[in-house]
Amino acid sequence: MSSTTTQSGLSRARRGLAPGGPGAVPGKRKSKLSAQATRTFFWLLLPSVVLLVLIHGYPLIYAAVQATHDGDLLQTGNFVGGQNFATVLSSPAFWKAAQFTLWFTIVGVFGSWLVGLGLALLLRTKIPAGGTFKVLLLLPWVVPIVVSSTAWNWLVATPDSLIPSMFRNLGMGTPLFLADPTLASVTVMAFKVWVSFPFMMMMISAALASVDTTVYEAASMDGASRWQQFTQITLPLIARSTYISWILMTIFCVNDFPTIYLLTGGGPVNATTSLVVLAYRTVFQDFATGPGVAIAFLMTMTLVVISVILYRQIRKSSVE
Amino acid sequence: MNATSERRPFSRRGFLGLTAAAAAAPLLAACGGGSASQGGGGGAGGTVKFWDMPWATPAYNDAAKGIAEGFSGANGAKASYQIIQWNNFYQTFSSAIASKTGPAVSTGGGFQAFQFEQQGQIAYADKVIDKLKANGQFDDFLPGVLDPFKSDKGYVAVPWQLDMRVFWYRKSLFEKANVALPTDWPSLLEAGKALKKVGAFGFTTGAGAGNNYANHSMIMMMVNNGGGVWNKDGELDLMNDRNVEAMEFVLELVSNGIIDPAAVSYTTDNMSAQWKDGKAGYGLFQVNVPQRVGDTSGDLLVADPITGPHGDKATLVFPNNIMMYTNTPSQEASEEFLVYYLGQLKQLWQKKLMSALPVFKSITEMPEFADDPNNVKIVKEWQPIAKTFAAQGSTLNANLAALDGGQALNQFSQTIITGKADAKTALQTFQSGLESVLKK
Repeated sequence: MSSTTTQSGLSRARRGLAPGGPGAVPGKRKSKLSAQATRTFFWLLLPSVVLLVLIHGYPLIYAAVQATHDGDLLQTGNFVGGQNFATVLSSPAFWKAAQFTLWFTIVGVFGSWLVGLGLALLLRTKIPAGGTFKVLLLLPWVVPIVVSSTAWNWLVATPDSLIPSMFRNLGMGTPLFLADPTLASVTVMAFKVWVSFPFMMMMISAALASVDTTVYEAASMDGASRWQQFTQITLPLIARSTYISWILMTIFCVNDFPTIYLLTGGGPVNATTSLVVLAYRTVFQDFATGPGVAIAFLMTMTLVVISVILYRQIRKSSVE
Repeated sequence: MNATSERRPFSRRGFLGLTAAAAAAPLLAACGGGSASQGGGGGAGGTVKFWDMPWATPAYNDAAKGIAEGFSGANGAKASYQIIQWNNFYQTFSSAIASKTGPAVSTGGGFQAFQFEQQGQIAYADKVIDKLKANGQFDDFLPGVLDPFKSDKGYVAVPWQLDMRVFWYRKSLFEKANVALPTDWPSLLEAGKALKKVGAFGFTTGAGAGNNYANHSMIMMMVNNGGGVWNKDGELDLMNDRNVEAMEFVLELVSNGIIDPAAVSYTTDNMSAQWKDGKAGYGLFQVNVPQRVGDTSGDLLVADPITGPHGDKATLVFPNNIMMYTNTPSQEASEEFLVYYLGQLKQLWQKKLMSALPVFKSITEMPEFADDPNNVKIVKEWQPIAKTFAAQGSTLNANLAALDGGQALNQFSQTIITGKADAKTALQTFQSGLESVLKK
């Protein structure tokens, strides 16, 4: 079979078409709502829309007010314009936290995606006690973060904890996983991946379940290798779910407070301080409400930009 | 009734109206809250809302609730009791106070009263002090505990327990290391070196998530050398020679391996485990360490206060306090409740529920307290030399809240105990960090 035939077969397979099948695309049916029905829907939606605007709009407006004033949690204070934003953006602590947040998010999203993808593919094969295995793999996501962070602390915090002791017994020294700035960053990211991979695994498992197995049979008949099937059928077919899970995990990572705060408190010497931890500490430990809320605003804007970019990718993958 | 209405008992418009009303109900209810919750029940004096923190085990809160609910004021006033968790406590208080649903009386953060005083939410306790003078309790206060709460406008709060910082040691480790207890800085260094040889640390501390002991240890060493964060006029004064000298000494402890290199990440639980496991030979901790770490064998003992190189002798104390708020069903009832509650505090020490020092001499003399030689030593030797975070100034203020647990102090303590910078650089960064968050 020629390469062209294989590519053509894979292309058909990606679209979920059996070999030799008609491949007809059903015509689009555009339904038009009557004006009366539109009005009814409008009035039915209105209460929910009003509630949503109040629930999200009020805090957003209040936060905007706080970010542009020099007050505290009780009093608004004086209007200072963009001074809080200028203060934050000129602070080395902000940029250090932004840098950590970026790495934490990249490792958190792609690390958990890779582990989740691997396990989802593994669970697709017939393995003994697959159901039990699946439930056990969900535990890191299900267990409250307070419990899992305590467990991780117990595993790595002191030189006599389990994992440092293991390293010592293997003649690899005594790594201080939470006391060394680099190791603490790595530990926090590993903890995030450990907590998050079950979510990715579930998302990918659900996407894989909707893929017709005959697509793979067709690809095999066309001579596609396992790797070709993975890269040209599996990945494209789960692309939509992948982008959605990336968007969600990016939001989870950027906004993740407990994973970091409970394990390291942002230390040592701010090595694991993310933007959300910095915002919290600025508002509730330094009682500097304006700059703290300004950090939160900048985070929100960044998240919106990232989400829009990834959402465009979803639309692009749907069109393809 | 016409035929149409019979077929459609619920018109679309009516349904929408009902939906909108249902949706608006919680909003209206929320708007209608306000101060009505303050005075419900409790006769003419109303119900005094008392908010308390989890200061010890749940048994403490049960006992405190019993005391609060046992209050019966002259005008039929009653008191209600509510526990507020430490997590985000300042936000909890702030939002409740802003919405006029906050407490009339509360315990809380050490400097919380001064923060809310700045915002005009605190009712001064001068009349409470007058009543304590009248009933004899005023003279029962341990020396100096009330003074930090006196502002130009009056008493901002009334202390009820002292969270002391004292040096503890494990006797068996000192015997094993064959070294004497430190009495000054050079002997602290020598003891630390000797303890290191037997696998223990001579300056146990921690700066991990939620652990302020390293912060307190740093300030304590400054104060112990006649320094401190503020000068006598209450101005920020971190770069003084005494502070530099104190931090250079701590850095010497670090370079000699006397401070655990992993301490920067230790939570209070990790620290307690170090004490329990015999890894901690000496270090700054709170009252009731044996009970806290679970070793009541008598091997953990309170050490003597140490003397700084210039003859100074001091430690840190956090006088936890009870404050009254302007939003109350009756100021008289709030005052009456506070006087009543202070009069009942002995129950908490009688039941051995507290991990702090009482503020009243009579409680320190009760057998339930005085039977423990560690307690007696703290009252006799440590309490008289204790200074607040305001040292070298005398009066507490709202700015101390930004110091205690703030980012500048955390970063400073972590920098010092990891030996990442020299004393002057670390202090300079600390000073700049504090200046940026302190209210002018």
